Amino acid sequence: MPVVDVDPDELRRFTGHGEKGDDELLDDLFELGLEFEGETEDGLFQLEFEADRLDRLSVEGVARSLRYQYGDDSGVYVPSTNDADWTIEVDESVPDERPYVTGAVIRGLDLDAAGLDSLIQLQEKLHATMGRGRAKGAIGIHDLTMLKGRSRVEGGENSISYRGIDPDGESFVPLDSNDELTPAEVLTDHPIGETYAPLLDGYERYPAIYDDLGLFSFPPVINGRRTEVNTGSRELFVELTGTDQWTIDRMCTIICYALDARGATIERVSVEYPDRTLDRPDFETDEKTVTHRRIERALGIDVDEREVIDLLERAGLDAESDGEADALSYRVSIPPYRTDVLHPVDVIDDIGRAYGFNRLEPEYPDVSTVGGRHERSRHERAIRETLVGLGFEDLLNFHLIGESVNFDRMGLSPADDALGAAEPATIAEPYSRDYETVRTWALPSLLMVLENNTHRRYPQELAEVGLAAHVDSDENTNVAEERRVAGVLARTDASYEDVKGRLASLARAFDVELATPATDHPSFIEGRVASVVLDGEHAGVVGELHPETLVEHGLEVPVVGFELRADALR
Amino acid sequence: MKLPDAQRAVLEAASANEARSIDRLTAEADLPDPTVVGATFTLEEEGLVTLTERVETDATLTEEGREYADTELPELALHEAVVAAGGETDLGSAIDEAGLNGPQVDIALSNFSRKGYGTIDSGQISAAPDANPTDDPERLALAALADGEPIDDESVLDGLAGRNLVAREETTVREVTLTDDGVTALMEGIETTDTVGALTPEMLTTGEWRDADFAAYNVEADAERAQAGRLHPLRRTAERVTDVLVGMGFEEMDGPHADAEFWINDCLFMPQDHPARTHWDQFTLADPDAIDDLPDELVAGVEHAHREGVGPDGDGYHSPWSADVARRLSLRGHTTSLSARHLAGVATGELEPPQRLFSVEKVYRNDTLDATHLLEFFQIEGLVMAEDLSVRDLMGTFTEFYAQFGITDLEFKPTYNPYTEPSFELFGEHPTTGELVEIGNSGLFRPEMLDPLGVDCDVMAWGLALERLLMLTHGFEDIRDVHGTLVDLDFLRNAEVVY
Repeated sequence: MPVVDVDPDELRRFTGHGEKGDDELLDDLFELGLEFEGETEDGLFQLEFEADRLDRLSVEGVARSLRYQYGDDSGVYVPSTNDADWTIEVDESVPDERPYVTGAVIRGLDLDAAGLDSLIQLQEKLHATMGRGRAKGAIGIHDLTMLKGRSRVEGGENSISYRGIDPDGESFVPLDSNDELTPAEVLTDHPIGETYAPLLDGYERYPAIYDDLGLFSFPPVINGRRTEVNTGSRELFVELTGTDQWTIDRMCTIICYALDARGATIERVSVEYPDRTLDRPDFETDEKTVTHRRIERALGIDVDEREVIDLLERAGLDAESDGEADALSYRVSIPPYRTDVLHPVDVIDDIGRAYGFNRLEPEYPDVSTVGGRHERSRHERAIRETLVGLGFEDLLNFHLIGESVNFDRMGLSPADDALGAAEPATIAEPYSRDYETVRTWALPSLLMVLENNTHRRYPQELAEVGLAAHVDSDENTNVAEERRVAGVLARTDASYEDVKGRLASLARAFDVELATPATDHPSFIEGRVASVVLDGEHAGVVGELHPETLVEHGLEVPVVGFELRADALR
Repeated sequence: MKLPDAQRAVLEAASANEARSIDRLTAEADLPDPTVVGATFTLEEEGLVTLTERVETDATLTEEGREYADTELPELALHEAVVAAGGETDLGSAIDEAGLNGPQVDIALSNFSRKGYGTIDSGQISAAPDANPTDDPERLALAALADGEPIDDESVLDGLAGRNLVAREETTVREVTLTDDGVTALMEGIETTDTVGALTPEMLTTGEWRDADFAAYNVEADAERAQAGRLHPLRRTAERVTDVLVGMGFEEMDGPHADAEFWINDCLFMPQDHPARTHWDQFTLADPDAIDDLPDELVAGVEHAHREGVGPDGDGYHSPWSADVARRLSLRGHTTSLSARHLAGVATGELEPPQRLFSVEKVYRNDTLDATHLLEFFQIEGLVMAEDLSVRDLMGTFTEFYAQFGITDLEFKPTYNPYTEPSFELFGEHPTTGELVEIGNSGLFRPEMLDPLGVDCDVMAWGLALERLLMLTHGFEDIRDVHGTLVDLDFLRNAEVVY
């Protein structure tokens, strides 16, 4: 979940609650679902957010939510906007991979250092969340006074243009640099360029934004130095490019709401695509209809119409009721900064939060069902109980294993014709070499436990009933998953007879007939290993582990063991 | 009087006139020490002997002490060398002559002066004419100790102990004296009772056991602990959770560990580009990398929910969606994949409400391995499917469930999950530390999840890491001690059984 740094003094200022102490604020924030993670060196609260409320990624948005919670504000708020003076022209050359652009003009801003930090943080957090690391949406914020608009027609409005250019077709001075670089050079020579270069893999033309003076923004990578924003900036041009118009429009909306809260005026821009024109930012509210019955049913409460409308307004929504009694429903308006309301259930959640979920009395559902275990889990439990009765310690090992542990250390190769030899299901990006495949058999795990416990008292008699898997194109998932039963006896006088005796007892318990015809297996001593045949079906292997296997695992006592398919004990 | 053999032997070895030590009685009675001690205590209880305890100090030569006993004390060696050199000589040659080296030189010099064997001045050493090294008390004491004779002079012993030539040890000696009753009993004569050691099959068949007097064992003596097979503590906890859920009417689900992302993520209304889908860092499989078949109709329904939402004014995600991503194979990051398969009717056939389903099974997350996170762990997954369910039903179910594990006063913190709304993190008070800890995540499944699966009633669900429950109920601190191949067998052998 994202963590956002919030200045408590700014929070007091924006909520208008200068009287609230830090502890009181933190309690209020917790109520809102923002968890305090700690403080920065500068005394800012580090707050952990849930990934749905992206409108709370800055102090302004958090303050807005708090004001609703305090009852200081209610209902939907939409900032007023001035008519467009600027146009973003979308050129035919714009790269197909990144076709969308949007923007807004901000005027009358008074940014102090804290305000600038907050704006930069909001931009970064939006990049990390909705913007999917700038791939889906990237924000560029510029000092408007440094832009020179060019009108296409005499007497027309100021305009900038979004284009696609040859990677080396133009040069500009990017932020944090003194050199003129082409976009291609930025990707190789500038640290920020290196970071975001993968986003432009495969692009023939690079995205670029021009004003009359030339290229000033190279989205989604970096802005030019010419239009850099500082605390003296009073007027801003915000542009966003991306792969989805809705996403960048919403990111733009969230930024505009934050700057509106700082007293700035929002001025629309006209986005001119070759085939259509958009008036942005888009502050249109969305609407959801939710029935009174559904609200009461989902929350398990009785409320009246007036109360529902009041709760919705306290959640920052507006509602108009419609119909009566069983047909009573609400047309709910959702402000444009809410990206998380997809369905009427989300409105119900808002009502529940405003009502206070902790006020609800738990109630055991009046629903009658019959419980029971799955046959497989009953079977596994019965095998485990039998093994424990035979003196084995029950183990619970990881299913993930290193390929060398599964094969090499057991003297086994995937191509052998032996139990455990099979193509393992393999992880694409393993955490470490110790956990790169799903084990194809269980004995390697037991040997590892013996290896890690040579300092513990012998005899060590271990068993496990657990999963093993291998690649199998006959399965729909292409992975065959099996339950295996494996056991080992490690002690100075361990003998084949001991382990076969236990196995015979296990077979007896499940009323299957055991036969042990001689076989070969590279993990066992030749002449001391047998196939486990249960009711005439080959089911596993039993024998005395090969000294090479033992030495490989640092063991100084003989070990006998077995492994078989749990299915064979049915 | 009739007494068991051992008691009679002790009584006969004891004396009314002389306190005799247990060691001596043991030697005379020719019985093992514990038997004699046991018999003595019994005799004392019967008033036939008195038992007294005395602290005895034993002095023994240290290694250094023994060396000087065999050769000579360094100061005496020095004195001898000076006398041999005519009563006065330079210090260096006296030391050489006396064969002293290392720390012995300092020992010799300090004791030489202290005991008045002579004087040392400006590098010259002279022997005192009236010194009598032959009768040096320390020398005599060392010789006596070497011969095993006792030393009575405490001050000499203190001196030797101070020089670390003698080690003193205190031992408690138990001594036994016959009482008047004991003497009387001996004079009247004692018969030995016949005691039996082991009960034999023969005694049972012949009936001999009827006349046998069984020797009493020291039933308090330690015995070697038997090593038993035991169920793994985590497995035991899983079994207990299963018992509780079955008792609450839940039926167990089963399904694949390696599954299509469709069942793991897409059915759960997780957008394909959602940060959670990468942040969960699932274990995507490289080989094999895709499922062969998914139900076409279901895939179309899920894709529609993702793109367009569900219901007349529902919205979808503004995210890319492809069936290729849905077919990608992964180790399941949660067992909600089983819930999706069951609700869709592909696991056990179409489900009619009401249903309660659960599983306690492994899930896999490509997380950082540390004291509270494992790459694979058990998830308790539960769902209730019914016509009308409210948030209060969900709260009631969890309140009952957690109360079975001693966790009460649950708190429900509203939270966000892509596939539930409303959603709650569950917090409960730790039974021992009292601190508030997260114990699960829950909610009502969203219509965007249920509608494509063909479910038209309410479903509430929750998930919880079994290991977390185990840590709460057992107070374990490092989960790696419990689960996996790093497990310590002593831990398994000693873990308390919880039921």
